[in-house]
Amino acid sequence: MKSTPLQTARVPFYFNSAAHLLLIGRERANTLGELLAALRICSDDSIFEHTFRTLQEHHFFQQNFSNDFAHWAYNDCSEIGLGEKLAALDVREFTSIESLRQRIVEIVEEYLRRYSQSEHRPARKPFYFCAADTVVLPTAFSARTLQEFTGALRQVPLTSIHYHFIEARLRLKLQSNDFSVWLEESLGLPKLAAFLDRIDIYTSTLEGVRRKLVRAAEGLHLE
Amino acid sequence: MDEHHIPEPQAASVDEASPQAEAHSPEEPGNPPSAMGLPPAPAPPPRLDDYGPVIGRPQIDELHFLAEALRGKTVKMVNSTAVGGGVAEMLNRLVPLLNGLEVNTAWEVIIGGNDFFEVTKAFHNALHGGDYSLNQAAQEVFLQTNDQNRQRMKFEEDIVVVHDPQPVGLIHARQAGAGRWIWRCHIDLSNPHPGVWEFLRPMVESYDAAIFSSPSFARQMEVPQYLFYPCIDPLSEKNKDLEESFIQKICDDFGIDRSRPVVTQVSRFDRLKDPVGVIQAFKLARKYVDCQLVLAGGSATDDPEGAVVLQEVMEAAGGDPNIIILNLPPWCALEINALQRASTVIVQKSLKEGFGLTVTEGLWKSKPMVAGAVGGIPTQVIHNLTGMLVHSVEGCAYQIRYLLTHPELAAQMGKNGKEHVRENFLMTANVRRWLLLYRILLGVR
Repeated sequence: MKSTPLQTARVPFYFNSAAHLLLIGRERANTLGELLAALRICSDDSIFEHTFRTLQEHHFFQQNFSNDFAHWAYNDCSEIGLGEKLAALDVREFTSIESLRQRIVEIVEEYLRRYSQSEHRPARKPFYFCAADTVVLPTAFSARTLQEFTGALRQVPLTSIHYHFIEARLRLKLQSNDFSVWLEESLGLPKLAAFLDRIDIYTSTLEGVRRKLVRAAEGLHLE
Repeated sequence: MDEHHIPEPQAASVDEASPQAEAHSPEEPGNPPSAMGLPPAPAPPPRLDDYGPVIGRPQIDELHFLAEALRGKTVKMVNSTAVGGGVAEMLNRLVPLLNGLEVNTAWEVIIGGNDFFEVTKAFHNALHGGDYSLNQAAQEVFLQTNDQNRQRMKFEEDIVVVHDPQPVGLIHARQAGAGRWIWRCHIDLSNPHPGVWEFLRPMVESYDAAIFSSPSFARQMEVPQYLFYPCIDPLSEKNKDLEESFIQKICDDFGIDRSRPVVTQVSRFDRLKDPVGVIQAFKLARKYVDCQLVLAGGSATDDPEGAVVLQEVMEAAGGDPNIIILNLPPWCALEINALQRASTVIVQKSLKEGFGLTVTEGLWKSKPMVAGAVGGIPTQVIHNLTGMLVHSVEGCAYQIRYLLTHPELAAQMGKNGKEHVRENFLMTANVRRWLLLYRILLGVR
């Protein structure tokens, strides 16, 4: 489809957000061995909570916070190497919780194969598995044009950015996000869609991600 | 039994962030401001829209949206005391906010005699891991008082929320199919007395949901267990923004020199808060960086050890003019607020802690924290991001030095800390959690 930034989409983009309530899970780990065992059996919601959702909860950190497993391995187990490996996971590379779980399990397994003495060493504090009960909420914002889209991006709550830009992959089962899909399919802007998709969420705060999204969309709009 | 006795609040693990103390000025230096002699009249509770400038309009809109589907639903909160204590303080703020959102929320207090509250005090200590010999008489007193309250009260609401163990037996009033019942546990159940817990457990498991303040406080139970962090009110006297001139006046009154860095710990004089350890750490740090230490606290009126600990603190200070010890009465929220805002670094070197709301308060004021890695503190102080976690006097001294000599890092941590609190530990975050839980339990997604 050929398009211009001034095009009006037939299907508007409705900005939603998600509110989460934390449930305390049954599993807990005092050692890396226990973490590994729990990782294999915990609910998908737990994996989601400690990877995707924790990013939202800590959205204001510009660096050094990736997921709860990495944080625990690094800070509470003093297993720096494992912490780094787990922190290098980019949740956006996973379109299903199962594949993400599998990757985390592999990383921990591999580490414990190399450093078997770490398996039963007690952590400074336990890892408590939690999960999130989610309610999807509409916001007051929608957009039919790139201009409206940019205007809304500036104002929506950060939870909405997280919902559409980060969590969306699990819903779409695609390595993309709601914004990019709409920009490409409804406004015919594949380059902008691809550009947005490359924004690094691990070296920015979520507010920083918002600014980058706005700048990119605005740049094209002004062209 | 005195049927109409409203008890003194019992200690709860909802942290008493303000020092509970007798009015008592320190030997030296710094006389308390004259206005501190009398408690001020309570201010009216804020309305939800008043929080707009603090959390942003979209978040306020979200709360309105969450409440919309619950409009007209009825909620009853039940606890064991109307005044004093963290739970009553929290309900005093929460109930008007929920009503402001048109989620009709009533608050009732159970009535019991001295014998009942003696039993529940003993249960409270036992649930925190203390020794206790549970006998038949105590169980009967507990159940009888719950039964009397059950007969006195009506439970026709869509949601009934019972706070803490004292009224937990009200669950027996539940009619089949009517209303959803939530047990909000504010205390640490990580290591309960087995006898007391097994006595209470069947009642707790009859609820539709339980809420704990930390995952470590929860038990293995069939009932779904939710996590609600304790929270602070950003519009309270303890946390609201202050004029710079007021902060300066308080510092002048207390003899604090703001041209030099100020290191502060706000906590009651209790060995578990390790005030002597703070002095030792300060003295080590001061070998390298010129600074002052403010220890602002009090001793709980029911804590005979407080005066002894204060004496130990004075001795450890040894008349050092750079150490300012303030023994403040409990109504000095504004003064505490000003002291926290005047600080360069805030310390909370606890050896044991519940959640640590003084840490929340410090983070909210954008201050870098140096804090003991105990209780709920690591949930708030994320090492190297919102502050520094320490495990020793030496570690505490080093991190104080480090933050005082790296102001840019300290400022970034302070900024991170404020956002962490805004996201997770404000009263409005808990309003959101309550609304979400109501929606989930009532099937209003």
